[in-house]
Amino acid sequence: MKLLGKAFSTKSILSKLLVSFVVLSAVPLIVLAYLANRNLHETGVEALTNIEEMGQMNLSLIEQLRKKVVQDAVQALDAKSTEAIEVRTVDLANAIAAFLYERDNDARTLASISPSKNNYLNFFQCHYRTVIEPPSTTNDYSASQEPSFTVISSNPENGQSWRHQPQYDFKKKTIPIYQEITFLDLEGNEKIKITSQGASTELKNVSSRRNTYCQAEDYFQYLTSLTDNDIYVSKVIGEHVPGWLQISDGMVTVDPASAYAGKENLGGKKFEGIIRWVIPVLEGGKRVGYCALALDHQHIMQFTDHIVPTEERFTNVSDAGEGNYAWLWDSEDRCISHPRDFFIMGFDCNTGQEVPGWISETAYREYLSSGKTLEEFVRQLPSLRDFTQTKKGARAQTGIGRIALDCKTLDMAPQCQGWHDGTEDGGSGSFVILWSGLWKLTSYAAVPYFTGQYSKTKRGFGYVTFGANVDDFHKAANDTKLYIQKTLEEQKDSIEKVNLKTGSTIRKKENDNRNLLLAIGFFSIMAVVGASVFISYGITKPIKNLTAGALAMRRGELNQRINVTSSDEIGELAASFNEMASTIAEVDQMKSEFVTIASHEFRTPIHSMLLSVTGILGGYSGQINDEVKEDLETVKLEIDRLMRLVNDLLDLSRIEARKIELQIEPIAISDLVNQAVERISELAVINHHSVENRLETEKTVVFVDCDRMVQVLINLLGNAIKYNPYQGKIIIHGLIHEDTFSIVIVDNGYGIPPWAQQKVFDKFFQADIYMSQKVGGTGLGLSISKHIVEKHGGSIQCASPISQSDYPDLPLNLERKGTMFTVTIPISKKTGGLTEHEN
Amino acid sequence: MKINKILVVDDEETISSYLGRKLTKLGYEVLVAGDGETAVDMAFSSLPDVVLLDVKLPRMNGYEVCRKIKANENTRFTTVIMLSAKTQGNEIQQGLDAGCDLYLTKPIGFPDILQHLKSFEK
Repeated sequence: MKLLGKAFSTKSILSKLLVSFVVLSAVPLIVLAYLANRNLHETGVEALTNIEEMGQMNLSLIEQLRKKVVQDAVQALDAKSTEAIEVRTVDLANAIAAFLYERDNDARTLASISPSKNNYLNFFQCHYRTVIEPPSTTNDYSASQEPSFTVISSNPENGQSWRHQPQYDFKKKTIPIYQEITFLDLEGNEKIKITSQGASTELKNVSSRRNTYCQAEDYFQYLTSLTDNDIYVSKVIGEHVPGWLQISDGMVTVDPASAYAGKENLGGKKFEGIIRWVIPVLEGGKRVGYCALALDHQHIMQFTDHIVPTEERFTNVSDAGEGNYAWLWDSEDRCISHPRDFFIMGFDCNTGQEVPGWISETAYREYLSSGKTLEEFVRQLPSLRDFTQTKKGARAQTGIGRIALDCKTLDMAPQCQGWHDGTEDGGSGSFVILWSGLWKLTSYAAVPYFTGQYSKTKRGFGYVTFGANVDDFHKAANDTKLYIQKTLEEQKDSIEKVNLKTGSTIRKKENDNRNLLLAIGFFSIMAVVGASVFISYGITKPIKNLTAGALAMRRGELNQRINVTSSDEIGELAASFNEMASTIAEVDQMKSEFVTIASHEFRTPIHSMLLSVTGILGGYSGQINDEVKEDLETVKLEIDRLMRLVNDLLDLSRIEARKIELQIEPIAISDLVNQAVERISELAVINHHSVENRLETEKTVVFVDCDRMVQVLINLLGNAIKYNPYQGKIIIHGLIHEDTFSIVIVDNGYGIPPWAQQKVFDKFFQADIYMSQKVGGTGLGLSISKHIVEKHGGSIQCASPISQSDYPDLPLNLERKGTMFTVTIPISKKTGGLTEHEN
Repeated sequence: MKINKILVVDDEETISSYLGRKLTKLGYEVLVAGDGETAVDMAFSSLPDVVLLDVKLPRMNGYEVCRKIKANENTRFTTVIMLSAKTQGNEIQQGLDAGCDLYLTKPIGFPDILQHLKSFEK
């Protein structure tokens, strides 16, 4: 941890390299990544915008297309539908004409038959025709079904676009075609009269209007002018049935008191009427009378009451309220067939007068101020004058339910004019008109029947008209429109989905790229960190080697050499270091050799001197007097001192040259101290000192070179004894710290002046030259001791004077200031592995 | 063992002559050699009872001389007292390894040498 901390401290080469490498590589990388990411994002955004625009363009294109397609389809379908309706109108008109011509044939056939009750009865009974029975309630309303798929061709090759319509299964009944057939004599007397009840005995003279149908027929007056081949065909004659339309909330309903009105009023009274065919009867080329056939008007109604201009095609009862129905006008533009029977022109059977057609309120007011009867006024109204749907129907007529339709004077219905104009040439066609707030398609076709009075105009019998709600008849087109719209909506949805998906894909890619860039960035930075660690390791390792080498040299390992691995500056430094180390080792070698030689060379003359002096003192050179002996003793003392000096010098130089190897072993403090005390006890006794050894049983174990540490203690104890007046006191005690042990040697000797307390450890320093000479010191002892203690990783301190309060039982005074030496040695940490100690 | 003949080997003439004179005066027959080879020759030829042998010698050092004396059949029981200025532990060990009977370090007083000699006579 410590190393790591050091490695990452701001000063380490690694951290500097790291910072510069990371900055150099990471900054461009980050800029690059930022730019790449931004470009990517912008591209993504642009792509999204483009896609959205494209989608919008697509959609608007589709929308345009939709409009165009729908319009075209609607137009095409409209055209087709319109055409289909027109064709149906024409077909219907032709069918009516054919039916009418059949009646012509019937008339000719009857005319060719000898007039007799039986013949006429037979004829009557041979002319029946089925009619569809309207339902009695609206629940029985039925229309042709949708095209069925239950019937298919047994040959699959016919399966393509196979269409099938089941038979129209409406309830029908068979009724006589004619209400009556009669034979008239030339004066108008009915001679034979056949009705559904058989031969009638109520025979009248039809020249009188009162004796005619609804007192409204005047056909007899025209008979005399008929040629033998001519056929007289009357208008539709019948009693008008009133009716009332109620309008509430825009909905038109038929009052139940009204005439029958198809689905709108099934229970109403039906319009009943006839069309009479009259043809001269010849006998032997001579006109003997006339036969007349009164066609039951129901059969005409059959053509228009059950046809629907929409997909339904046919119905058992039409519904004028729905707006999809057909009706019929005669050659004088009178309505002669309509789902709403009260619209059919009829007569007042009491008066035999035709009920005037419905006119506008405007026209009605005109009538009121005309002074004429309404019948007269309407009869004299100019045909098709000022027709516009802005006019409203006359309320007086609606009030009494007399609202039959006469297209010549129905001046609030402009379509009348359209039909009239369109059938002028006997043609057919259609147009669209906004009617009662709804767009209605109306088609028309002249009924090509040109018999009798109906041959006056190309319009023939009259004209068939169809009304259809545009929406209904647009159904196919609208269905297509809806389908296209739905398809386009789906297309729009799918485009939007694709857009969303594309957007999310782009965003995902963007994200992926960002992550990729981050990963690349991360790995690049990791690689840079790795590289810088590697490079810094390459730089710091040799430097660490150098440092380690230098430290080893400091410890005295002068053979230390750095393994030079590179040829760079560090390699040079290492080489220089090695060179320096070699030089130092050489010099050291020379020094130690010098010391060895010097010590030997000093010993030899000292030895000679000592031999001689001791020989003389021992009496081996003859008798000597006491004075000489005393002087020689002095010489011997000096020789001893010289010898000590040589020994100390040698010792010190060896220590300084780190030539000594510590023989580290575990030893109890007590053993160390006791050995030293033992060795100085004689000296202490000589000086009458007392030594108080408080560490006699101190069992704390230290790892030291025993001999060297004893040497130190002897040196300190020796000083304590020597620099102390007679009868001094020396106390040895100890202080245990966390991981060190201090041996304290306190004396009550002369003490050391403060200025000298640091210098006492210097070589050859002696605070008191006189005292030193007196005790024979070499001035090297403390210096050697300091070296030894420090080599053990410990320290040695000196303090003086001693505080009496610290040592109450140590006699101190001005002469005895006292000195304290403290030797602190590690308990086990650096000198061994022992961490526990006992007291 | 009775000591009659002592071979003093030292290249320092002051020392060898002093020891020669004093030991002769004390009644010993003293032979003196100034170098190693001479010392070996004299030891083999004169067969001294004790050899006082310095270590630092010309031509052949004291250790070698000691080994040769102790290796020779005739002189292997000769007492060899090494007397050297070499005082280091390893130097002393070298002497003991060479087979010396006693290793004394210089400086040493004459009475002390005598005392050691006499200890071999007992």
